[in-house]
Amino acid sequence: MLTYLETKELAQERRQLTDRLKEIIVERLDLEIDPKLITDDQPIFGRGLGLDSIDALELFVVIEDEFNVTVYDDNIEVFSSINKLADYIVENTEE
Amino acid sequence: MKVVMDVNEIKKTIPHRWPFLLLDRIVELKPGVTGVGLKNVTISEPFFEGHFPNESIMPGVLIVEAMAQLTAVVYCKGALEAMKESNEEVAATAETVAEDIDISSRVGYLVSIKDMKFMKPVVPGDQLRLRADIGKSYGILSKVKVSAHVNHECVASGVLVVSQRPE
Repeated sequence: MLTYLETKELAQERRQLTDRLKEIIVERLDLEIDPKLITDDQPIFGRGLGLDSIDALELFVVIEDEFNVTVYDDNIEVFSSINKLADYIVENTEE
Repeated sequence: MKVVMDVNEIKKTIPHRWPFLLLDRIVELKPGVTGVGLKNVTISEPFFEGHFPNESIMPGVLIVEAMAQLTAVVYCKGALEAMKESNEEVAATAETVAEDIDISSRVGYLVSIKDMKFMKPVVPGDQLRLRADIGKSYGILSKVKVSAHVNHECVASGVLVVSQRPE
């Protein structure tokens, strides 16, 4: 069991990661949206953030540049939401 | 300057023809990775007739097209090498491969033009030295860094995204 403080710390770390992801995506993909308005479970493609398959390439490059994490071609569901993307980055980052 | 591919070889690699073949020579080539090509601009180009009647300037979009054609050459040559490697028997008769398989039919599509800057007008008499560096790929898309120089001065640069032809 985690203590309250540990849980709080984990939540804060997670929040930092998702906030950073949103800012990076907005900046690098030139989106006209306030990063704070993106929710963690909102779909990134299609009706969610309105990104298309061409933006997927840029997103792939951004994640590799910023987090040193590679998303493989058959793993496109990683890009389905900020939460999924954050999960993937945490799982694949070597501490 | 070393000629890596002359115009006849270029024509075997990409399907573009007059008045739209905007690549005269390849002087450096690492198949699938990078390439440098030349395009000599002359007053006889058909587009100067209208662009513009009183001031001949090569349209920026045609510089981009020349960059895209160079990209296609680098890409197709890369695909050809990959095919050769995957089939050793074919490698023995490498020369005939290019003729047997119409590699030019494998040229993909231009998907995106990003951050393209045109620093200086290109006019008759200029020789464009085009450069394409193929970068990261995701799925069937690849990012390509491109530039064009005249007399060692950069006249245009940017990023293209190209796609493979879906199988």
